[in-house]
Amino acid sequence: MGKIEWAMWANEQALASGLILLTGGIVGVAGQFRGWQFAAYGVAAGVFVCLLEYPRGKRSKGTSVERTGQYCFTVCVKSFGPLTRNYYVRAFLHAALCVPGGFMLATVLGCVCLGISSLIYLGAAIHGEQWMPILPQKEQTRKPVGESIKNPPQNPPPRPPAELRRKRVEDLEGAAYVNPIAVTAND
Amino acid sequence: MVVSVRSWVANEGGKHLVLVLWLGANTWLFLRTFLLYSTGQQYYYLYKMLGLGLCISRASAAVLNLNCSVVLLPMCRSLLTYVRGTHTVSSRKTRRLLDKSKTFHVACGVAICIFSVVHVSAHLVNVVNFSVSYSDDFPALNVARYRGEDPRLIILTTVPGVTGVLLVLILFLMFTASSYCIRVSNYEIFWYTHNLFIVFYIILMVHMVGGALKYQTNIEAHPPGCLRANQSSPEQQGEELEQSEDEERRCREEAHFQPHCPQTWLWVSGPLCLYCAERFYRYIRSSDPVTIVTVIRHPCNVIELRMLKRDFKARPGQYIVLNCPGVSSFENHPFTLTTCPTENKETFGIHLRVVGDWTERFTELLLPEQGIASEILPMVQQRRYPKLYVDGPFGSPSEEVFNYEVSLCVAGGIGVTPFACVLHALLNGWVGFRLRRLYFVWVCRELKSFYWFAELLCALHHKLWQENRPDYLNLRLYVSQTDKLQSMSEEKYRPLSSRLLVGRPRWKLLFDEIGKTNKHNRVGVFCCGPKSISRTLHRLCNSARYSGTTFEFNKESFS
Repeated sequence: MGKIEWAMWANEQALASGLILLTGGIVGVAGQFRGWQFAAYGVAAGVFVCLLEYPRGKRSKGTSVERTGQYCFTVCVKSFGPLTRNYYVRAFLHAALCVPGGFMLATVLGCVCLGISSLIYLGAAIHGEQWMPILPQKEQTRKPVGESIKNPPQNPPPRPPAELRRKRVEDLEGAAYVNPIAVTAND
Repeated sequence: MVVSVRSWVANEGGKHLVLVLWLGANTWLFLRTFLLYSTGQQYYYLYKMLGLGLCISRASAAVLNLNCSVVLLPMCRSLLTYVRGTHTVSSRKTRRLLDKSKTFHVACGVAICIFSVVHVSAHLVNVVNFSVSYSDDFPALNVARYRGEDPRLIILTTVPGVTGVLLVLILFLMFTASSYCIRVSNYEIFWYTHNLFIVFYIILMVHMVGGALKYQTNIEAHPPGCLRANQSSPEQQGEELEQSEDEERRCREEAHFQPHCPQTWLWVSGPLCLYCAERFYRYIRSSDPVTIVTVIRHPCNVIELRMLKRDFKARPGQYIVLNCPGVSSFENHPFTLTTCPTENKETFGIHLRVVGDWTERFTELLLPEQGIASEILPMVQQRRYPKLYVDGPFGSPSEEVFNYEVSLCVAGGIGVTPFACVLHALLNGWVGFRLRRLYFVWVCRELKSFYWFAELLCALHHKLWQENRPDYLNLRLYVSQTDKLQSMSEEKYRPLSSRLLVGRPRWKLLFDEIGKTNKHNRVGVFCCGPKSISRTLHRLCNSARYSGTTFEFNKESFS
């Protein structure tokens, strides 16, 4: 019933995974564990994913809720054109980004979560969804009042001669007539 | 606006008290478990091996146990409805706390997420320590099979590790689908991922099987830190130690270790069974299909639906959840009742506004579009209504309108539905309730919306006049769109058209007026409408200045 927009969920997941990857990377680098180079990569990848996923896309039907302060991110992401608009690209990008995270313990969780969000992006892409930027709409000017209100008619509408118009009480139905010219405005 | 202490305590005190108690319970549990593992004798060797990671992981596990058990309780809606209905059991203050059950559920959920992060991080450190500080002295303590075993291998080959990974993944799915944005736009994603909770709980109960963390059982025979048979005390070099003291510090036997029994099921099984019983009861109760008696089309895209169901009892202000398999098998949509069944009339009704695909499709099934043929001949054929299932009724804050001496009901647009039910109940008999005066403010965008309940309002107004209580109902109608000329021209709706005001209401003046005429009284404020109105009213209720009157704020929300 109704179209589900998978991309929105994938976006939330990708943002969360980016944060998890970033945190795991910071812990790995700070503790100087074995394989800390992967942790450093995790930090960079986490930051990149967060920046990419922060601006929410526009919903196809209904009102879209922006994240606070996302306008500048929207402009940056929009400038990449089809690379960011297409969800297939995002799905494969996330899949590729998550693989090196699996080699170190601290970033494993971020890797798995990013993998899941990449799968959901793939599903969204198969459903034909696209990333549309949320841009502020220009103020819609109100419909101007019709021109005819400024030029009221100078003459009364044409009517049949007086003897036809006189009220004939005995034959009301025969006295009815239809105006030859329409009297309603703005038709 | 200055916040008055008394008003603030009346409105927010209960909620904040519960919050403080809950935070206190969590903190106490965390600290107690932390201290147990860092200073307990039976964990001495384990602590030496794992360090702080042990204490933090176990302490956060205890907090997780508490929150996982408590998070289910606010969602037992039928139980809460029952508690709300029994006035002897709970006072009005407790019932007002029930209004915030969903907020409490969210708070527990957030706590589960935060402490899961802490728990997982601490256990990752533990796994590294198990691998690095492989203990040759006490091989029973080890989880790693050899020194320097890859930590990821340890995770994937033990039951706690694998179940832990699955739990984190499920929690990740549930958490990312629960944001406000997703609930508003794609409710199904939220609903289906949240129903993975049953998998989560089953895996949680087997998470501790396998016993990775062990405690020492023979503390008397082997005091931790004692010297073993082939060891010598480090201070013995160059110092004379008394023989007896040395004897005391010798271990009489080897340390024995035993894993903990899984404890989570003790915490979790009670609420889980309660919640599953509740869901089962709701399923059984809603399996009886309802008979649709009438469908009436109202202006501004509103449909009224009158139904009949066996053994259906409801109180004014409650809501039901509809499921129409002809539209969608799995979607459930809540609607407030606008008429409750009484002794004389068994039908109950809802008003639903057509916005969104489910309601559109539902309306199409109920009222097939009238073709041109109906202008020639009236349709006199048996309507084939779709099958409809009703779950409920469930309680809501608006049930309390009758329990205040003075109530102010503010409705925005279609938010008038809970109050319409209240007005119907008053129409049946207004004597016998604690309520002595009702201020009813209804704000709509268009004039035509008032026709939804124009007859009800006029009928109640006339009844109160006939029975010599004209001051019982104080009615104000506001039309917020000011550009078109608006008036209700029908003669029978005179009481409404003379109380109709154009423009938005000025809440502060209204509150001042109500405060002056009801000094030293407690006024219940009920709001069902857009967020802007409810925020303004909430602020006004918390602020001072109303000559001793306390305004208690109760909000009904639809999401």
